[in-house]
Amino acid sequence: MKTMENRRLALLYTMLALPAFIWLVPTLWMVSLSLQPNALLARTTSNTFWGLIPYPLTLDNYLNLLAHGQVHVWFFNSLVVALGMTIGVLVLSTTAGYAFARLNFVGKKTLLVLVLLGLMIPEQAVFIPLYTLFSELGWHNSHHGLIIPRLAVPIGVFIMIQFFRGVTRDVEEAARIDGANTFQIFWHVMLPLARPAMMTVAILTFLYAWNDYLWPLVSAQRTEHFTITLGLASLQSNFAQSEGLGSVMASGVIASLPVVALFLIFQRYVVRAVAVGGSKG
Amino acid sequence: MFEQFKTDLRWAGVRQNLVAWVFLLPFVFVYVAFLIYPFCRGVWISLHDWNLLAVTFNPDAKTFIGLDNYLRLFWGTEMTWRAWARPVLQGLCVLAALFCVWRYRTGELRWSTLWQCLMALLLLMFFFGWAPGEGGRWFDRRFWPTVGNTVFFVAMVVPAITLISLLLATALNRETRGAAFLRTLFFLSQVLSVTVVTLIWQMMFSARQGLLANVVREFGGVPLSWLAEPGFAMAAIVIATVWWSIGIAMVLFLAGLQDIPQEMQEAAKLDRANSVQAFWYIILPNLKRTITLVVILQIILHFQVFGQAHLMTQGGPNDQTQVLVRYIYQTAFRDSDLGIASAMAVFLFVIMSVFSAVQFMVSREDEQ
Repeated sequence: MKTMENRRLALLYTMLALPAFIWLVPTLWMVSLSLQPNALLARTTSNTFWGLIPYPLTLDNYLNLLAHGQVHVWFFNSLVVALGMTIGVLVLSTTAGYAFARLNFVGKKTLLVLVLLGLMIPEQAVFIPLYTLFSELGWHNSHHGLIIPRLAVPIGVFIMIQFFRGVTRDVEEAARIDGANTFQIFWHVMLPLARPAMMTVAILTFLYAWNDYLWPLVSAQRTEHFTITLGLASLQSNFAQSEGLGSVMASGVIASLPVVALFLIFQRYVVRAVAVGGSKG
Repeated sequence: MFEQFKTDLRWAGVRQNLVAWVFLLPFVFVYVAFLIYPFCRGVWISLHDWNLLAVTFNPDAKTFIGLDNYLRLFWGTEMTWRAWARPVLQGLCVLAALFCVWRYRTGELRWSTLWQCLMALLLLMFFFGWAPGEGGRWFDRRFWPTVGNTVFFVAMVVPAITLISLLLATALNRETRGAAFLRTLFFLSQVLSVTVVTLIWQMMFSARQGLLANVVREFGGVPLSWLAEPGFAMAAIVIATVWWSIGIAMVLFLAGLQDIPQEMQEAAKLDRANSVQAFWYIILPNLKRTITLVVILQIILHFQVFGQAHLMTQGGPNDQTQVLVRYIYQTAFRDSDLGIASAMAVFLFVIMSVFSAVQFMVSREDEQ
């Protein structure tokens, strides 16, 4: 019986080898190309084993990116925008989520419905009016101009409401009997409990911020204000002027490093965040 | 004394409200100012003849034109109605109607749901009947073809992703190291940004330097310039998209599979059911809800396609990969016609809301 089971598993993995290979090759190729000399790539991209093995190997592409070009500026912009957005969303979604889940106030139900309806408004439906609004405010070409629009999306609030509703009231009551006020309860009792949910919100927001393309494309017009995602797009559209295929691929690898690292370290949270984010807007 | 108590109580209520609003205010302010207000403003812009550059220099350079922008998108001259103006699309509607009736007959659809579906399909059939008659033309020749391309893209991507991720999820729903590794591998591309994905696949498909071309050349074939070839450009975008985004669907299916009672699968094993039978008779029926939700979710998600078409093919060749969001972007920021672009954005929103409403209804039924 055991060997039967093993044989079935072996058969399964053999069948999965081909799709796994297909899914792996494109990424592998990008990394491999980024490690080959530009001069070689100008001649051929299939040097060793269709270019999948980086031989001759060089780190010049990466060193060049660090030495000049704007990739490090874009990387820094992305980092500031993604971290700023993450912190902002965390603050707004925990406070509002707590209020909706646990506090009483007039018109709570109506307001909750109004907020959840916002989940139905896609970014593409508001980016034009946001553009005119931010023009009037003079907020284009800035970090906060890229951060603020996402702070208004209620997905984080939605996740936090779900979480806070699940916390038993006993903890809160106990703290209240000990004389803690609402703010102390929120800060000292609820937030420490909410760490897993906050992690989900944070990762969801960071991934979104890092990978967002449409709004930065509209809002950041000067290259020194590009995010890495946007900068990479600009490199693609003028391949000819760029320093070479290897360098472009190296930028692609650098642009992916933070999100891939995040994914590999916090896989469980990332998977949940992406699933929640995908299913609720 | 009693009066005093009542005042105290009222003060407690006011205090409670005040505290709640301290918590709520930051988010509600941002929400109203940067989502609700812009959305309303978008609808307002769509009712104007609004040139981006003109209005930037002179705020009064816009004129209110009512629903003219919508008319300019949806309508044409000499519009006539014929029963079978678009046989393919209308035929699909008839098939869908028959499918609904069949589902009703097998008892899987309620009478009210059947009724709603049939009315919607009838309405769709009626709309498809309109076309510019002799000597007439659409006011905007590109709008409906662009919508068509977007729908075509969705119709290719969604079934492919659903099928592949369902099979993968079923195969990888086990607690071995190998399965965990493969799950990671198949999910990995999902966290990449659209610009990285298009960078990779633009190179993959390149006729001069692409990996596919290199392999084809090795075997003596003539490589194809996928992204510039009519008929292949859309396929290339679809392939890149499927590669990019099976992750979400796979994760949702894995979650759904976890909910299937273990006893059922054990029972199937005892009955000597093979994997295909187990998949067909146990897994599929139990995953029906999840499949419906994943499909709707994917429709909403991929209807917003932009980056792939914008970066890989620039909408070409011959507008074949021009999609709705790219058309909105171009109309607004290349042609500076914010009025029309906003009308299209409202149109996009309406379509998305329809699917969101369906999603809401399905997940509500789920809870009952």
